[in-house]
Amino acid sequence: METAIALDGATKRFGELTAVDGLSLTIGRGATVALLGANGAGKSTTVAMLMGLLPPDEGEVTVAGRAPRQAVVEGTIAAMLQDSGLMPGVTAAELVRLARRMYPAPLRVEEALELAGLRDQARRRVDRMSGGQVQRLKFALVAVAGADTMLLDEPTRALDVQGRREFWSAMRNCAAAGRTIVFATHYLDEVEENAERVVVMARGRVVADGTPARIREAGGRAVVRFRVPAGETLPTLPGEVVREHGWATVRSATPDEVVRRLAASDADWCDLRVSPPSLDDSFLALTGAGPAAQDGSAPHGTPPAQGTPADRRIAAASSAPQADSIARTESAQTQAAKTQAARAESARTAPEEARVR
Amino acid sequence: MTFHLFRLECVRMLRDPRYLALGVVTPIGFYLLFATIFGGDPTRPGELKGTVEIMVAMAAYGAIWGALSATGPRLAHERSSGWLEQLRSMPVTVRQLLVAKLAAGLAVALPALVLVCVTAAAAKDVRLEAWQWAALVPAMWLGTLPFALLGVVVGLLVGPEAAFPLSYGLYMAASALGGLWVPPARLSAPLQDVAHALPTYRLADLGWRIAAGHAPTWADVAVLAAWSAGFVALAVLAQGRGPRRARTGAASAATAG
Repeated sequence: METAIALDGATKRFGELTAVDGLSLTIGRGATVALLGANGAGKSTTVAMLMGLLPPDEGEVTVAGRAPRQAVVEGTIAAMLQDSGLMPGVTAAELVRLARRMYPAPLRVEEALELAGLRDQARRRVDRMSGGQVQRLKFALVAVAGADTMLLDEPTRALDVQGRREFWSAMRNCAAAGRTIVFATHYLDEVEENAERVVVMARGRVVADGTPARIREAGGRAVVRFRVPAGETLPTLPGEVVREHGWATVRSATPDEVVRRLAASDADWCDLRVSPPSLDDSFLALTGAGPAAQDGSAPHGTPPAQGTPADRRIAAASSAPQADSIARTESAQTQAAKTQAARAESARTAPEEARVR
Repeated sequence: MTFHLFRLECVRMLRDPRYLALGVVTPIGFYLLFATIFGGDPTRPGELKGTVEIMVAMAAYGAIWGALSATGPRLAHERSSGWLEQLRSMPVTVRQLLVAKLAAGLAVALPALVLVCVTAAAAKDVRLEAWQWAALVPAMWLGTLPFALLGVVVGLLVGPEAAFPLSYGLYMAASALGGLWVPPARLSAPLQDVAHALPTYRLADLGWRIAAGHAPTWADVAVLAAWSAGFVALAVLAQGRGPRRARTGAASAATAG
């Protein structure tokens, strides 16, 4: 597999702050990779280094084997930056036409506008566009380049639900055309559906790297829910049990064992449902943003994570030097996390595993 | 690439009502006003007719604003809006960008220059020899270069809020002191010395000399060239520290993570 992007021990400091800390990462051509991390994790700085906008203080950054700026000039890589703006006073089509002329193998202007969902706004002036339309136009400027590698820094910011859906569908078209796509985001749902590989960043380092399914398994606990009358005695279950309003919720690293014990007991339970670990939980566990779990964004209708052993895992993960893969990260983690990771390697996720590079 | 950037820069200027008002309509309006009030004043031998002198002054006045406003306030705004950041991530060099901007500044200086002359000929019966027209317009057009360069310096050094008032303030001050409002001959001696050092006076003097049937003086060319060189030097200095000061680089990346 040819290498599209390589960072080798890349470090960038801003005064006291180390934004990117010895980052090593290789992305092969044609891959679709998510850079997942909270604000301040170093995603945008990484993107800036890959575009040659910021030189690394230490380490090496190459794009298609070249210096980043050279790759930009040759049109090998194009990026949708988070803070960039557009030229006011001109129309969407005029701006895309300008961008088109800069690249050696561009798409047609109409094609790029269509991909970005701006076909009907082609003649609209940039300064009269909504935030979502500006965001789409920024994507059109990247799409029209026809570059081998596309870097997208929080591409769906300012887009509504429909806009996001259309955006990702356009992105999948680009991926299907064989382009390498790297996008930075903090939206977990986007990662799961659109990336084949997730690189989780925290404090300028890689804390996990694998398929979305594997990341999901790495930190979170599954949720087992069932109806059970108040006062009914339950068997001892491996995990944290919460009972309210006639429902029992068990957050457990070993949901199979929970179900087995339930089935073996005489308890009067019904309506059993098992949800896989939420990506939110694993993400928070991996990046050490534990308290943020209280914002109630957990999917699957599960209650927010409370008192998870996340803190321990965070400490372990952050102390692991150069933790650039799950395998290395987990060696420093708790026994519980190991068990989950082992489960992740079971048949259930095997087909996706095979795609990890 | 530079050409396409240049073309878009011009397109957006021509769509900008503020440019059309200040850079085209205002000098024409002032010309008609002043030429009507003062144009008929008796002239001593060797002096230009009022309608001609004011034509040159107002042509310079309009052209200067075109060149200055296409560069200064726009560049400052683009530095903060992120358009420069966007261009930096594309296959364009800073040099191409600045050349396109300068060229656009010169291009949008032309309409005021030509239209004031056309108005003078049509409404105030100003008549010059064909060679005089052919020399006056290009000479004054090239003479706006230092103002386009000044705009680049302002755009690189100042934020978007300050760039417009600063450009406009410099423009008004230099126009008044340079004798575009009041004939320089009527200024006091010390003020005349100041005027002679200013590019505004020298730009108009190119036109006055040609309209009087003479060649521009070397002093005109030298003063305009000196200001240009000074602004280029300042622009190079400002560019050297520009990217890091603007939110293009370190600051935004650090805060956005």
